[in-house]
Amino acid sequence: MKIIIVGAGQVGYHIASRLALENKDVVVIDKNADAIKRVADDLDVQTIIGSGSSPDALHEAGVGDAEILLAVTDSDESNLVACLVADMLSPSTKKLARVRGADFDQYHDAFRQNVPHIDTIINPEIEVVKTIDRLMSVPGAADVGEFADGRIKFVGVYLDETCRLAGVQLMDLPNRFGKDRPLIAAVMRDDELIIPGGQDRLLPGDLVYFISEADKLSETLSKFDKYIEPVRRVLVIGAGRIGFRLAKLLEEKSIYCKVIEKHADRCQYLAERLNKAVVLHGDGSDQGLLAEENIKEIDVVITLTNDEETNILASLLAMRMGASKSITKISKFSYFQLMSTIGIKQVVSTRLSAINTILQHIRRGKVLSAISLKSEEAEVIEAVALETSEIVAKPLRRVSFPKGAMVAGIMRQENIIIPTGDTVIEPNDRIIVFARKEAITGIEKILAVKLEYF
Amino acid sequence: MRWRYPLSVVGALNLFFGLTMIFPLGYGLFHQDQSVVPLMLSTIITLVSGLLIYLVFRSDKSEVISQREGMAIVALGWTSVSLFGALPFYLAPGGCSFTDAFFESVSGFTTTGASILTNIEETPRGLLMWRSYIQWLGGMGIIVLSVAILPFLGVGGMQLYKAEVPTPVPDKLRPRIRDTAMVLWKVYALFTVGEVIMLLLGGMTLFDALCHAFTTMPTGGFSTKNASIAHFNNVYFDVTISVFMILAGINFSLHYQLLRGRPLAVWRDSECRFFLGAAALLTIIVAADIHGNIYPTIAEALRYGLFQVVSIVTTTGYATADYEQWPALSQLILLLCMFLGASAGSTGGGMKCLRIMLVFKYSYKELFSLIHPRAVKHVKLGGKVVPEDVMHSVLGFLTLYMGLFAIASVLLAAMGVDFITAFAAVAATLGNVGPGFGMVGPVENYAQVPTLGKWLLSWCMLLGRLEIYTMVILLVPEFWRK
Repeated sequence: MKIIIVGAGQVGYHIASRLALENKDVVVIDKNADAIKRVADDLDVQTIIGSGSSPDALHEAGVGDAEILLAVTDSDESNLVACLVADMLSPSTKKLARVRGADFDQYHDAFRQNVPHIDTIINPEIEVVKTIDRLMSVPGAADVGEFADGRIKFVGVYLDETCRLAGVQLMDLPNRFGKDRPLIAAVMRDDELIIPGGQDRLLPGDLVYFISEADKLSETLSKFDKYIEPVRRVLVIGAGRIGFRLAKLLEEKSIYCKVIEKHADRCQYLAERLNKAVVLHGDGSDQGLLAEENIKEIDVVITLTNDEETNILASLLAMRMGASKSITKISKFSYFQLMSTIGIKQVVSTRLSAINTILQHIRRGKVLSAISLKSEEAEVIEAVALETSEIVAKPLRRVSFPKGAMVAGIMRQENIIIPTGDTVIEPNDRIIVFARKEAITGIEKILAVKLEYF
Repeated sequence: MRWRYPLSVVGALNLFFGLTMIFPLGYGLFHQDQSVVPLMLSTIITLVSGLLIYLVFRSDKSEVISQREGMAIVALGWTSVSLFGALPFYLAPGGCSFTDAFFESVSGFTTTGASILTNIEETPRGLLMWRSYIQWLGGMGIIVLSVAILPFLGVGGMQLYKAEVPTPVPDKLRPRIRDTAMVLWKVYALFTVGEVIMLLLGGMTLFDALCHAFTTMPTGGFSTKNASIAHFNNVYFDVTISVFMILAGINFSLHYQLLRGRPLAVWRDSECRFFLGAAALLTIIVAADIHGNIYPTIAEALRYGLFQVVSIVTTTGYATADYEQWPALSQLILLLCMFLGASAGSTGGGMKCLRIMLVFKYSYKELFSLIHPRAVKHVKLGGKVVPEDVMHSVLGFLTLYMGLFAIASVLLAAMGVDFITAFAAVAATLGNVGPGFGMVGPVENYAQVPTLGKWLLSWCMLLGRLEIYTMVILLVPEFWRK
C-alpha cells in the first residue's frame, strides 16, 4: 500500500510518521528542502523535493500505483491543483485534500462529484470548532470524542481530590454503582497511558477516559462529581479563522459571545459579519480590558490566537481573574504534557484535529472511526466485528489481545454493552477499542481486517 | 458650473411637461366645461416658453452633467414646472391670485395636498382633473419620468435621478438608469390602474375614481370633494384607499421584486417591516384612544384610526374624520407621523422610516460604545454595514430638516399665524402631508395663511419633496462660486 503525502508541514510530518510506524509505504513531496530533510532524517519514508502539483514529481512518487494521495500543504490552491493533476495522471487514486477557506464549505460535495474528484476534503478548523463545542458542553472534560454518529461519547476527565471515586479500585465500581457503573477505558497518569485492570486504583490527578451513551452523559458525569451547566457567556480571544467560525456558531446557538482581537482591520471585518457578538479591539492579555468586560461573569474563555504562549498566558490570566473555565489552543505537541501541571485542563489543537480527521477518513471500510488521544499516545477505534475475526464467538478473556489494548464498549443494535471477561462479541457488533500506539498493528490482526485504507 | 446646458435641459423639461398637459386638456375638451380655455392657454404658453428656453440655450451635443449641475437642473426644473402648472388655476374664470395658484400647483407637484380652494365641488372638472394629474406626475417624479422617456437625458440621467430621488441607500434595479426609471414608472402606473378598477368596482364614478387614484398612489391627498374621503362615508372606499396608501408608502423597488415573483424580498426588507409595524402599532394605539369617547364601537375606532394614521404616516393627507376633535394622545401621534413619513424610495414624504431607523441604530451604537469602550461596531441594515458617509449624510439630513422646520415655523409665527398653526403648517408642508392642525386642520385649508406665508410654505413643500439637499444647496454661496 502506497500513500503519497504532498506537503511536509506539521500535519504532513505527523501523518507520515504515524503511517510509517504502521509499515505503510509513504512518499512525501515538498518544495521546501529543509522540511524534506527533516522528514528524511526522522522517518522511514521516501522523500521528493518538488512541487506536489508537478506531474513529474507525482510520476516520480509513483502516483500510478498509489492508493491514496494526501494534499496537506498550507495553501488551499496548491492542494486543489495537486489533486487535479493526480486525478489526471491516475484517476483510481483516492484523494484527500486539506482546504481551509470558508468559501469552499458549500462545495465539498461538488469537488467529489466533478473534477478533480477529491474523495474527502478536510478542514481541521471545522473540526477544532466542533471539538471546542463538545468541550464546552461537557464541564471538566479534557477530551471529548464521539462514536456511532454521536450516540456514544468518550470523555476524558481529570479526577479531583475531592471526587468520591478518588482512590477507588476499579473492581469496586460494580458494588458502588451496580449496572450503571461508569465504563472506564483508560487512565492517563504522569503522561503514561494505562489500560486499567480490576486491581488498579483511580488516583487524584488522573485523566480518566470513560465511555457513555450520549443521553446518559450527565448521569455518568455526576458520578465523577461533575455537573453539566449550560454555557451562557463566552469570551473568545483571538479571532482568526477558527475564532470567527466559533463566534458564528455561538451566534447560531444564541450564546452571548464577546470576541477580543488585536488587529483593527480584522475587527472591522468581524464587526461587519457578526451580528450579535460583541467585537472588541484590544489585547486578550490586557488585564484592564478583561476587567472592563466583566471577566468574572464569563463561563468559558477560549484563547485562539496564533501565538500559543499568548494563549496559555491569557487563559491563565482569565481564570485567575474569575472566569469559570478556559479552553486553550495549542499546536506544539511538546507543550501538552505541561498543561495539566500549570493548571490548563482543556486544550485543543488544529494539528491534532487535522490528524484525527485524516486518520478517520483514511481508515475507512470496517473501521468506522479513529480518534487520537492527547499527545498521540493512543487511539480509539470504532470497528465492526467480522465473522472471520478472532474476537467473535468466544469470551473476551480467551481472546489474546495485544498488550496495551482493550475493548471498551460494544454496541449491539441500539444497546451499549459494557464488556467483562465473559462477554462474547457477536458478528456485526460495533466495538470500541482503546489501543496504545504500539498495539495498533496487533489490533489490525485481531480484527481480521487490514486497517483498510479505503 | 456652466449655465447653458443645464438651462437647455430645463427648457426641454418644460417642453416635455407642456406635452403631457394634453391629457387633462383632452379631458376638459371632452367635458366642454369652463376649464378648456385656461388649460389650452396654459398648454400653449408652456410649450412656447419651453421651446424658447431650449432653443436659446441649446448646444449641439449632449454633455455630461456634473452633480452640481444635476442639482441645479432638478431644483430649477421643479420650480419652473410649478410656475407653469399654476397657470390653469390663475387663468380659470373667477380664478385666484397668482400666489394661491402657485401654492396650489406646488402642493400638487410635491404631492402635499394642501389646498387653497375653498369650494372644490364648484370648481370645473377639467381643473380638478388637472389638479389630481399634476400630483400623479409629481409622485414618481417628473425628472424620473423624463429620464425614462427623453433619450437625450441618458448621459446625465444618473445625476438628475440622484438629485430627485436622494434615498440614503439607492437601489438601482437595472444596470441602466433609464431602465430603472422606466420600471418604476411602469409599476407606479400599474398600481394606479389597479386602484381605479377597485374604486370603480365599489361604485365610484370614473371621474372620482381616476382623480383619487391619481392622488393616492403619489400619496398626494387632493380630493374632488370638500369633505375629502369622508364625503363618500363608505367602508369599502376607506379600506381600499388605505391599502393603496400603504402600497404607495412602500419602497417601489420592493414592489418591483414582488411583481417579479419574489414576495419574500418585501418581508426581508427591514425598513418595510419597520414601516408596516409602526403603522400597525400606531393604529392600535390611536384606535384604543378614540374608542369609547369618540366612536362607540371597536370597528369604527379601527376604521377611522387606521385611515387617519395611514393617511398621515404615508403623508397622503386624505381625511375621513376631523382628528382635531380626538384626544391629545392621538393628535400627538399624528403630528409625529408627519415627521416619520413613509419608506425611502416610495412616493411618500417626511423624514422617511429608513433615516429614522438608521438614526436609532446609530444612537444605540453610541450607547453601546459607552458600555464597551473598545468595541468595534457598525450600523447595519438587513445584515449589511451602512457606510460611514451614508450615516453622516443621514445625520446631516435630520439636522437640516429640524433646523429648517424651526426657522420656517418661527418665520410663519412672525407673520402673525398662531402657535399651533405655525408649527403644524410647516410640519405638514415640509413632510408633504397636507392637512395640519389649527387653522390648517383637516376640515379647514390654507386659504387663510398670509400671502408671504404661502410662498414660504410653497418653498417648504419643494424642500420636502426634493429631500432638502437639492433645494437648500442653492442657498449655499459655495454653490455659486466659479
